[in-house]
This record gives sequence, C-alpha cells and structure tokens, in this order.
Amino acid sequence: MILILAETGTEAAKQGFFETFGVNWPFFIAQLINFVVVLFVLKKFAFTPIQGILEERRNRIAQGEAKLVEIEQQLADSEKEKAALLEKANADAQRLIAEARDSAQALGDKKAQEATAQAQTILSKAQEAARAERAAMSAELKQEFGRLVVATTSKVTGKTLDDADQQRINSEAVASVEA
Amino acid sequence: MTFFSRLFPLLVALFASISSASAAGGHQLPLYAESPFEGTFFSWVSNSMIMVWLAAALIILFCRAATKKLSLVPQGAQNFAEWLIESLYDFFGNILGEHLVKRTFWFFGATFMLILTVNYLGLIPGVGTLGTTDSHGHFKGLLRGGNADLNMTAAMAITFFALWIFWSFSEIGAKNFFAHIFAPKGKFSGVMKVGMVVIFFLVGILEIVSIFIRPVALSFRLFGNIYGGEQTLEGLMALVPQSIAFLPALPFYFMELLVGLVQALVFTLLCAVFLALMCDHGDEEHH
Repeated sequence: MILILAETGTEAAKQGFFETFGVNWPFFIAQLINFVVVLFVLKKFAFTPIQGILEERRNRIAQGEAKLVEIEQQLADSEKEKAALLEKANADAQRLIAEARDSAQALGDKKAQEATAQAQTILSKAQEAARAERAAMSAELKQEFGRLVVATTSKVTGKTLDDADQQRINSEAVASVEA
Repeated sequence: MTFFSRLFPLLVALFASISSASAAGGHQLPLYAESPFEGTFFSWVSNSMIMVWLAAALIILFCRAATKKLSLVPQGAQNFAEWLIESLYDFFGNILGEHLVKRTFWFFGATFMLILTVNYLGLIPGVGTLGTTDSHGHFKGLLRGGNADLNMTAAMAITFFALWIFWSFSEIGAKNFFAHIFAPKGKFSGVMKVGMVVIFFLVGILEIVSIFIRPVALSFRLFGNIYGGEQTLEGLMALVPQSIAFLPALPFYFMELLVGLVQALVFTLLCAVFLALMCDHGDEEHH
C-alpha cells in the first residue's frame, strides 16, 4: 500500500496533478450534478416521507401516552367516585337498617303495649265478670240459704212464718253466713 | 511483539510483490476514471459515473418501494428503510444536536447511503476488470468503483463545503462565524489581551487554511482508501495463475466490505463534526 502510494506520488509529481488523478471539468461537473440530483431525489422521495411517517408515529405514541395518563387519571377518579358512592350507599343502608330496626322496635313495643293493654282490659273484664257472677251467685246463694233457713225453721217450729219473720230470719241467716 | 516483528516484513514483502506484479504483469487499475464512450457524444460519461448512476438507481428504487405504501405499522422494505433512517438520524443527532440534525439530516443520510452503495457495488466482480484493450495495449474498464474517482469524491466534498458555509452562516451569522475563527477564546485584559488578539488572529489564518484543506482531505481520504483497496485486490489476483486468481483476494474482499462501511461512516461523520464544531454556539442558542 505504501509502495502504491509512493508510486502514485512520483507519478503525480511527473505529470500535472489534475491529469494524474483524471480530474477534469466535464467529469467533475457531471459527478457534481449526479450527486446533487441524488441528494434532491432522496430528500424528496425517501427522507421526507419516511421522516414524516416516523414523526407521525412519534406523535401518535406521544398522544397515546397522554391519553393513557388521562385514562389512568379518569380511572383513579372513577375509583375514588365509586369508593365514595359505595361508602355513601353503605352508610345509607346502615342508616336504613338502623331506622328499620328502630321502627320495628317501636312497632313491637307499641304492639306489645297494645297487647298488654288488651290483655289488661280482657283480664279486668274477666275479673269484673267473675266478680259479678260471684256476686250474683252469692246473692242467689243467700236467697236460697234464707229460703232454706226459713223452710227449716218453719218445719222445725211447725208454724207458718209471716213475711216479717221470714224477713228477719232470712237477714239473720245471711248475716251469720257472711260473718 | 515477536508476532508483529515477524508479520511486518512479510506484509511489506507482500505489498511490494503486489506493486511489482501490478506494474509489470496484467493490467493495472489507472488512477483516473475514463470514458468508455470516448469519441462519441457521451464522452462526458465516465466509467465511475455509470457506477454512481447504478447505485443511485438502486437506492431510489429501494426508497420508492419502501415508501410506496407507507403505513403506521411498517412491513418489509418500509421496516428496513425506517430502521436505517432512524438509526442514522440518531447517530448524527448525537453529534449535531436535535435542531441541526432536523435541518441537515437529508444530506448526511443520503451521502452515507450513496457512498456505502457505491463502495459495495465497486466490489462486484467485473467492476474494473471488464473492459476493452486498445491497439496500444491500454486497458479501459467499462465500469469503475464510483469512489475510486477523485471527481466523484471531490464533488461530494465540495457540495458539503458549500452547504457547510451556508448552514454555518444561517445558523450563527457572519459575525459569529468569523468570531469563532479569529476571536480569542477566554477572558484576557491589558497587554495579555493584545498578545492574544495577535495570536488568535494568526491561529484564525491557520484555521482558514485548514477549512479550505478539509474538502481536499475528505476527497483524497475516500478516494485513496477505495482506490487502494481495489488496487490491492487486483494486485493480489495478479500474484497467482488466473485459474485461482480469486483465492488470494478472497480474504481481502471481507476487509473491503468493512472498509466500504467505515469509509462511508468516516466521510459523513467528519462532515457532521465539522458542521457541529462551527454551529456549536448557534445550537446552544437554539436550546
């Protein structure tokens, strides 16, 4: 390689520089135009569209990322909202249960009171009825007892008792029974 | 160390024999491109130009196929084109910065793709070996590696030079452009300042010289590497009988594949670095 370059240098020194390397205007200008045309064509048909699509994809990814953040935020918000709603619903349910329990308790108490009152009324009525029945029975018994005493007295004494005697004997007999 | 001390004389001997074999026997790849149509209307078409056209046509056809039905979910050629362009965009973006790469990528991307394709097309058997020999025994190749022609590499370097001046002026302005070259770097006062102004003015003149040398260096670096590679392959083939001529050149083909890629990278990378060095201030302002 060194020797090739050395040979080249010697050759260049012997001839003119441009002649040695074949640099001439027609070739140079043609290559220059070639290069510029290639640059222009590649810029227009390769780099611009491909960079455009890369940029579009980059933007879409950025938008996607932004949307993802937004969605995550919305999800977090909705989670919070859901938790708050659940909490509220739970509190409402607890309150309703408590209210229902209180209401049931009150109703139960009321019904119990009513039942007690009814039972009391029934009891007092029964007592009243029993008392009346007892009094009636007692009166009837006294009347029967008096009649028996009068009858017995009349049979024992062999005399007919008048109304005053019957009344007196009857009263005494009843008094002695009551005593 | 011993290995290299043994290998070096062998390599020197090998290249010396290649050189002498190329010079003495067979045809030697000339330093310059020639027109296969000399004496006709198309005498301005050189054999290297045909290769550049072929490479350009291949790239354009591929790009048309890749961009024919662009979709957001890429497939086939579009997928490969997007991978290539995005990789190159990121690569040059790291050197140039976000603002500058957006503006200049079309140049660097296209130049890289063209140099790479031209380099690889130059390795196809027949390029540089198929041709005609005139009555004086002068061999004229029908095809020649595009970058083995100084006209092509100079055209690319000079196009970049013109664009470099345009981009630099439009990015940082004429004042900053010349300040970047001539103004003293750092803060000085008194006699020191006067001394530094003189020194940096002289450094600026050197910088101007180096700026004008850049396209020359870019042209010759690419041309020298590609021409040297082709010359090496031809020389190696001339070392052995024609029936097995491919054999010694075969390992060097793999090296040339690497060289083709490296040279495309070096050319575009250096262009990007030159631009970034000048537009550094401008880029900071944009940020």
